[in-house]
Amino acid sequence: MKEVRLWTCSDVSDWLTDEGMQEYMDALQNVDGPALLKLSEEDFKASPLSLVTGDSGRQLLERIETLRFTSHMKAHKNNNHEKSHHANGHAGIALANGSVSNGKIPNGIPKNGLHPEPIRILIPSLPEQERTPYPTEWFKTGVAFLYALFCFLTTTVVISVVHERVPPKEESPPLPDKFFDLFDRVEWAFSICEINGMLLVGLWFTQWLLLKHRSIVGRRFFFIVGTLYLYRCVTMYVTTLPVPGMHFKCSPKLFGDWEAQSRRVMKMMAGGGLSITGSHSLCGDYLYSGHTVMLTLTYLFIKEYSPRRFWWYHWICWCLSAIGIFCILLAHDHYTVDVVVAYYMTTRLFWWYHTMANQQALKEISTGNLFSRVWWFGPFQYFESNVRGIVPRNYQLPFLLRTMTSARVKYSKLDSRES
Amino acid sequence: MAASHLLDDREDDGPNGSCQVMVMMEERTHPQATPCGNQVDDKPKSTKRLQGFRKALRKNQDYSRISKPSSSQLPSEWWKTGIAFIWAGFNLVLTTVMITVVNERVPDKSVSPPLPDKFFDYIPRVEWAFSVTEVNGMILVALWFVQWLFLKHRAIVGRRFFFLQGMLYLYRIVTMYITTLPVPSMHMDCAPKLYNDSHGKIKRVLQLVSGGGLSITGSHLLCGDFLYSGHTVMLTLTFLFIQEYSPRSCKWRCYHGFCGLLSATGVVCILVAHEHYSVDVVVAYFITSRLFYWYHTMANNQALRDSPHNYLNRTWWNWVFNFLEKNVKTPVPCTFSWPLSLPYVCFKNPCKSYSMVQSARDE
Repeated sequence: MKEVRLWTCSDVSDWLTDEGMQEYMDALQNVDGPALLKLSEEDFKASPLSLVTGDSGRQLLERIETLRFTSHMKAHKNNNHEKSHHANGHAGIALANGSVSNGKIPNGIPKNGLHPEPIRILIPSLPEQERTPYPTEWFKTGVAFLYALFCFLTTTVVISVVHERVPPKEESPPLPDKFFDLFDRVEWAFSICEINGMLLVGLWFTQWLLLKHRSIVGRRFFFIVGTLYLYRCVTMYVTTLPVPGMHFKCSPKLFGDWEAQSRRVMKMMAGGGLSITGSHSLCGDYLYSGHTVMLTLTYLFIKEYSPRRFWWYHWICWCLSAIGIFCILLAHDHYTVDVVVAYYMTTRLFWWYHTMANQQALKEISTGNLFSRVWWFGPFQYFESNVRGIVPRNYQLPFLLRTMTSARVKYSKLDSRES
Repeated sequence: MAASHLLDDREDDGPNGSCQVMVMMEERTHPQATPCGNQVDDKPKSTKRLQGFRKALRKNQDYSRISKPSSSQLPSEWWKTGIAFIWAGFNLVLTTVMITVVNERVPDKSVSPPLPDKFFDYIPRVEWAFSVTEVNGMILVALWFVQWLFLKHRAIVGRRFFFLQGMLYLYRIVTMYITTLPVPSMHMDCAPKLYNDSHGKIKRVLQLVSGGGLSITGSHLLCGDFLYSGHTVMLTLTFLFIQEYSPRSCKWRCYHGFCGLLSATGVVCILVAHEHYSVDVVVAYFITSRLFYWYHTMANNQALRDSPHNYLNRTWWNWVFNFLEKNVKTPVPCTFSWPLSLPYVCFKNPCKSYSMVQSARDE
């Protein structure tokens, strides 16, 4: 496209058509390039322009202004090539596409009759944090951690409350359960389940330490685990199932003795609710099974955030998880429905959360996005709004180990560059 | 008008081509909440054409017909709806069989008293509450049925309803069977156990199916089907469907509110009548709403279906979903039509939106 200064009348007409301003074509049919650039507001007050304009020519003047500007840049570029006396301070700003970087255009171009004032264009520079698609934002991870801690605490308190309401074994015998009919109780099975659980949690923790984007992944883990335990509080509390087996030895009830109850709560939190540590003496927390939740969730996270080639590792974890769940039932420690419901809730919540997090379209409220109707959509947006795209599986030694080891050996999968 | 003047002028002009009005359809990735009755909005844009195209724009051929994406992108495929219907029917029958089986396993009231339930502690039993639930349920089902009849894409929507209902009843079969809860309240009189009397059991199944499992029709005599509550499923599901497939304008919001109220009171009355444990109702609501949202999000977002990072397709029923929704490419718009096909009046007069081109043609 030629420079505006060299435009003929028909070029001007074409330009007006392009800009969607055909109404001016008649009035400006004798106007060529330079005259177009000279148009001002006064011209629009007189006829014939005043007859065709609706907004006193404001829109057209703006377009002409843009035209002036781009034509100045082109002139500039051409002049630079010829090494004319324009080399007074135009620090190579004119780029091929006419855009301007952080800089000024000082005075000194009398030839073109263009706007002599300098124009400063500032490009807002984002802080380093926001420009990466996976910002770390440890603060949000901290919030998620507190949320998970709160949910654990609530669960422990609710278990303690529910324990008071569990009907005694003699009054309410264990409910009929299909699995219990088929398989008799095996005593040591529950220890296997707990050992598997601890192994899986340990593996997941180690894996998490080695992830590069551990703040984002940690945030997700804490949020999902917290929500699952919160749901568990609700289902445990509203209806109390009787003990699944006569072998249960529930602690005696402390009616109204708050001090003793809070001590019990502390003991349970300290032991993590495991019977190996001796803190699994309270009854009533059957629907749904927290052990199943941990086994399933750690396996899902391990599989999700580890390389696909490690299929043997995934298989081992899957076996640990499946055997653990089977052993819960074998030990007659939970009803079958507890385990089934727990598995269902965990998998659905995990997939739901991750699908939402991976699709930008699902992070906004719209009529087609029914996922936005869940009650935790607000916290979800808070956690995942700055994460753009799918978190890649990159690995990086944690900070302390990084400073200790030297970087002589190159690990192909470890990320060695700062980003 | 200047534009039409231009149109005739330009055709004889230089190589820059003529400007014309052309209606373009945009790619829609996000579903638009179109209120019922409006057409899809098309914005006219003027674009420059190439020289060769100018010749094609003779006086009588300068508007192009655009077909709305109703027939090609939302095919009816009634046979798929039929399959979904069979699936739902099969699951309903299986549920009744399972209830009959579970009835044998329910522990006696004296052996296993009702479990402690928080709601029951606070609210004593009201006898007529369950009839309220069932009446509400029947009203909601009737309203949904009428609304469904008037939907334009009733094949697709019907398919979805039957599939989801079937799935929910299937899950219910599983949870009912594996663990049997005792009766929630001492007022419940369960039908006596027929230990090996298969003939009697079959008669019971038929009685249950014909009565729809409602106590109003006298077919709600069997116990053991507590986790989770089928009544809650129906109330919630019909409400969700009513809300989803009707317009979102102000007047219609009153209708949604009314249906929501019916649904909520129905659910609360189940608990007031001590007919189900609280956990049954909570779990039923949760599973129904999540499954509904899951299915519809998958169905409404074509980009999601093609994406490799879509974890929603890890469910076991994903292949059924693909089968049912393979040819449905866009969200189902909320349009109504008469159940019996009448010719569309507006097809006779398509030129209303093309008045500018029409006048250009006539000049």
